[in-house]
Amino acid sequence: MFILISGGCKNGKSAIAEQIICSGNSERFYIATMQPFGKEAEIAIKRHRKMRLGRNFNTIEKYTDIGEIDLPDKCSVLLECIGNLCANEMFSAGCSTPEEKILRDIKKIIAKTEIFIAVTSHVGSDGIIYPKETMKYAESLGRLNSALADTADIVIEAVFGIPIILKGELPECIY
Amino acid sequence: MIFIIGGSYQGKTDFAVNKFGLSPDEITEGSAPYDKLISAKCIRHFEDFVSSAAVRNEDPLKLTEKLLSDNPDVIIIMTEIGCGIIPIEKSQRIYRELVGKTGCLIAGLAEKVIRITCGIPAVIKGETI
Repeated sequence: MFILISGGCKNGKSAIAEQIICSGNSERFYIATMQPFGKEAEIAIKRHRKMRLGRNFNTIEKYTDIGEIDLPDKCSVLLECIGNLCANEMFSAGCSTPEEKILRDIKKIIAKTEIFIAVTSHVGSDGIIYPKETMKYAESLGRLNSALADTADIVIEAVFGIPIILKGELPECIY
Repeated sequence: MIFIIGGSYQGKTDFAVNKFGLSPDEITEGSAPYDKLISAKCIRHFEDFVSSAAVRNEDPLKLTEKLLSDNPDVIIIMTEIGCGIIPIEKSQRIYRELVGKTGCLIAGLAEKVIRITCGIPAVIKGETI
């Protein structure tokens, strides 16, 4: 089962993801893709750690090449977030079109998991023309999100904390 | 309390006016003084309430909670602004995050949340309209 959760900034994506993943009993892994650059990243990482406290997550920090992660069979995995991962592959690892690579890596994780939830960001709706590299990032992330949604069993958009189902059916645990 | 959301220029105010029969003087801007907001029937551009609280170094979340207990039947209109590239400017990043958090707070308390896209309402919380 692969669930993709998208939505805007601070719209409750993680809370929905954690609610779903914590309703299952398999071993839980959390793949953190945000690189701890600067004070704000530190604060965001601390906030997310606090949210996960007491929920038995094994945290794996992996900023690129997530297909290399060794996972036990039939575990649950929550990955946050595709937006960071895409930026890391593009700007830290120098892969200019990372969509196919990330999709391949994610399929490896899906094969190992009972439930895999990926949190992503929606970045293409502010109408601002950015420098070329940033536009390329928005394009890659948009294409990647579409490809992931195509593979996903369930796609949810978080809107101010409300889960809106875009594909499949809302899991029972969040009714 | 009813919460109306959506992107800029999607017809949120027009929807509120037509649906709830509001006259122009019943709609108050989010940047208006607090005593005006307490008696407002409808507050629009609530994102401006968030930014003006932040500029005064007040906590928009606490202030929103207070406003909603002072004016529990208000209709709130707020623009969704968090679906873009993370801004370079720190104050804009904070603003965007605060609007997201405040939106989650209001949506959690609202009896109905309506999202307007191209003038078309979708009820995403509560009974249909």
